[in-house]
Amino acid sequence: MNNLLEVKNISVSFDGFKAVNNLSFRIGYNEIKAVIGPNGAGKTTFMDIITGQTKPDNGDVLWTDKQYSLLLLKESEIAQLGVGRKFQKPTIFENKTVLQNLIISQKKIRNPFSVIFQSFNSLDEEKINKILKEINLFEIKSKISGELSHGQKQWLEIGMLLTQEPKLLLVDEPAAGMTTEERQQTVKILKKLSLKKSIIVVEHDMEFIKDLECNVTVLHDGSILSEGTINEVSNDENVIEVYLGR
Amino acid sequence: MFNSLLKDTNHRQVLFFCITIILFSFIITLLSDLFSINFISTSFIKTLGKTLCLCVIALSMDVVWGYCGILSLGHFAFFGLGGYMIGMWLMYKRTEIIVLTASISESLPLTPQEISDAIGNQIFGVVGGSEIPLIWAYADNFYFQLAMVILIPGLLAFVFGWLAFRSRVTGVYLSILTQAMTLALSLYLFQNDSGLRGNNGLSGLQNIPGYDDTSQFVISIYFFWASALFLILVFIFFFYLVNSKFGSIITAIRDDETRIRFLGYHVESYKLFVFVLTAVISALAGALYYPQAGIINPAEIAPIASIYLAVWVAIGGRGNLYGAIIGAASVSLISSWFTSGQAPSISLIFYKIEWVNWWTVILGLGFVIVTLISREGIFGFLKSIFIRKV
Repeated sequence: MNNLLEVKNISVSFDGFKAVNNLSFRIGYNEIKAVIGPNGAGKTTFMDIITGQTKPDNGDVLWTDKQYSLLLLKESEIAQLGVGRKFQKPTIFENKTVLQNLIISQKKIRNPFSVIFQSFNSLDEEKINKILKEINLFEIKSKISGELSHGQKQWLEIGMLLTQEPKLLLVDEPAAGMTTEERQQTVKILKKLSLKKSIIVVEHDMEFIKDLECNVTVLHDGSILSEGTINEVSNDENVIEVYLGR
Repeated sequence: MFNSLLKDTNHRQVLFFCITIILFSFIITLLSDLFSINFISTSFIKTLGKTLCLCVIALSMDVVWGYCGILSLGHFAFFGLGGYMIGMWLMYKRTEIIVLTASISESLPLTPQEISDAIGNQIFGVVGGSEIPLIWAYADNFYFQLAMVILIPGLLAFVFGWLAFRSRVTGVYLSILTQAMTLALSLYLFQNDSGLRGNNGLSGLQNIPGYDDTSQFVISIYFFWASALFLILVFIFFFYLVNSKFGSIITAIRDDETRIRFLGYHVESYKLFVFVLTAVISALAGALYYPQAGIINPAEIAPIASIYLAVWVAIGGRGNLYGAIIGAASVSLISSWFTSGQAPSISLIFYKIEWVNWWTVILGLGFVIVTLISREGIFGFLKSIFIRKV
């Protein structure tokens, strides 16, 4: 299977503390993978490296089979290539309306000179309306997004990722603070998305991962402890030890 | 261009603003000396014209700070540079005319060298030189100097902004850097060998070459109208800019820089774009301001000037274009009233309050009170009252 993203033997340390240690990871096209691990296992650093916020000390991050390295690119360039990130806390622009949030995230040329002359045409509007309906916010698209409920904000952020049309989605704890119903809805959306995109989900919630039915990578102390299906992983003795304490 | 999600009310707002300024200008013109009503003096028309230019730089400040979140405390450097660039042409050309007029009575026509020496002597005698510095090489060319009004401040803003934003200097550190920039520039210009007449600055700028027969009154009306039209143009431009997608992005940068970066926007180029754009508009405002002021010297671009600019915008209401205009117009007009000695001193039994000295105290207090009561300044305050009533 072809790789969309390949992380090769990366290590990074902060003031001598090894946050990520010789970690390798790959994800193919249209695949979902879950990354779990206790606090401090290096999950966030791992995402930071892929999105370009943190530069690793060793190793490489390769994009698609053309094998070019993401390490040489800026955050904005990586995002433009097609890496979208959803943060743990819903980070939307609270002063802007739902629609404005989606417009600025819509996939378009991003440099200031062309943005000034960009028009919001009916095709763009159509695309956004479709997404607004998918995330159940169509009726309230002119509402200031700061006034939305927590769940709606999460939806909006997912909507922002969708308008960005990324190839790879990094999703940080999408189910945090959601009701059971909303969580099931999220699983549905992610599964539907994975027909066309690759998704890396970072999550604590084992139930959620079970519902996603995907491959799981367990991180511990900055390296991979175990990999496999959720059943394989949860029967792995190392994993049990780390998760249930020694 | 600027396709946005504006409603009709927004367009009406712009129209309302333009009509207000034009009406205001007509009324001022009518009340002036034009029809011998003479209700408003020439010097007051100049003050009003200057105030309109200050409104323009306040708009720039509002866009760069209120919308994009860059607290620049150096925009008066660009304003002053714009003034210097146009001032060079005004002063050179006028001196040249004086020299040539005087030479008519001479029996022998002057050689170009003699003319240049005479001009140099006239302009630079005051700083003990007679040679025309290299930077004045094209000072006799209006279009060249007009281009310099845009290019020099634009280039300074570009280089400074590029260095600062690229290293991701933000917040208070950036503000300090911009203060350092304007201080360094003003100290440099204070030097006699800077080629711009040191602390004497450039003077006689109110005399427009080629309009010697036109009275100062008529010139002041011209400049007043030019300033009003420039303010309208800049307002329209900024209004559609900040209400477009571009505006959405720069306010997003202000609110959450990291997030917008992950959406794929190169934050630094946006900041640089806004910084340079507002610097150039400030410079153009300066080029309109100083012919009305008549004189420019390095003290004009002292760090405090740019701090006042931030105070105007904060008092008026940042993040709102009307706020910037209200702040700049009201504070600068009140300020010139107090500091010109027109305000009557108040004699207490043991102390005499002289407003020239006490004005800054009032301004400081006003700044604190306004920002405490309403974070969005006077405009935000007015808006909240208005909205509550409706």
